[in-house]
Amino acid sequence: MAKVHEITVWARGVLMDKEGRDVINIFAQAAQAEGKHAQAFDNYEDLPDRVLVTVRKYVRLSDEEITHKYVYTNDKPEVVVVTEATIVKGIDVLRGMEPGGTLIINTNRPLDSMLKLLPNANLLKTIATVDADGITGVRTVDFSGSEGGVDATGIGKGIAAPIVGAMAKVTGLVKKESLAKIVSDVSGMERGYNEVTIKHLTPAVGELVGAGKHK
Amino acid sequence: MAKALPGYGTIVVPKDREVPFGAVTPAPVGTQKLFQTSNWRVVRPVRDEEKCTRCLQCYLACPDACWVYKEEDDRLEWVGDFCKGCQVCIQQCPEDGALVAAPELDFEGGVVRLDKPF
Repeated sequence: MAKVHEITVWARGVLMDKEGRDVINIFAQAAQAEGKHAQAFDNYEDLPDRVLVTVRKYVRLSDEEITHKYVYTNDKPEVVVVTEATIVKGIDVLRGMEPGGTLIINTNRPLDSMLKLLPNANLLKTIATVDADGITGVRTVDFSGSEGGVDATGIGKGIAAPIVGAMAKVTGLVKKESLAKIVSDVSGMERGYNEVTIKHLTPAVGELVGAGKHK
Repeated sequence: MAKALPGYGTIVVPKDREVPFGAVTPAPVGTQKLFQTSNWRVVRPVRDEEKCTRCLQCYLACPDACWVYKEEDDRLEWVGDFCKGCQVCIQQCPEDGALVAAPELDFEGGVVRLDKPF
């Protein structure tokens, strides 16, 4: 079986629920347009109808057909995207990640201040920040596109656009051109792609025996 | 225990799942350690000791009883483990600048770090 790239997106209930959902839908649709196999799951496990509660969205990409269909959670996320920086403080977002993962945070704060909040930052190979709020700052509150419904307000209008742009640059899993066909705010996506701050870290391999299993 | 209920047949409830009719089940007294909601917070309320008039509007408004008034010391305490950052206290505060919202990332601690949302 070909490698399945697991991406977990963290967002906050109601206020950022649509933006988180847009990120997974745009990314999965762009990958499908490039001929990849993709799965995108909105939230079923957390409490998405409670304001500010942390919620998760999942994407899986692969070059071959993804055989497991019934488990929607990503146990070993390769890429973690945090759409609101305070989540890093309150949740172990890197839970289950194997050494060499990627973390992308929406914040205007310095990258190193984010690293300080991560007790298990040694799992990361790449960390990136993008100031999506500075680029668009728009958050649409709408549930029409949840649970497989048709999105009535259009996807990628708000902070999701710069975030997917940053994800495309940092992970290289999809091309910017494929994203541009799907997002509503193409200039926001381009700015996210160009303005993302990336730092490459050296995962301390020697210390990381069993690190992916930490609970 | 099996019970015949007219119209529903025989109802079997395992002994260990049985609850007497009208029973009171034990509830936590004080704080609920299993439902800490501080990681819902993006901003936290910060109180100006000088400007605060002790009108206790914040204490009355808080949906989670996160403002505790210590009468003997004339002191208001904030309970950080359960404050969700809803800002109702800030909206209700009649004194200008006595309660302000500060980004949670400006503070070192205060948020309970959980493995999972719940």
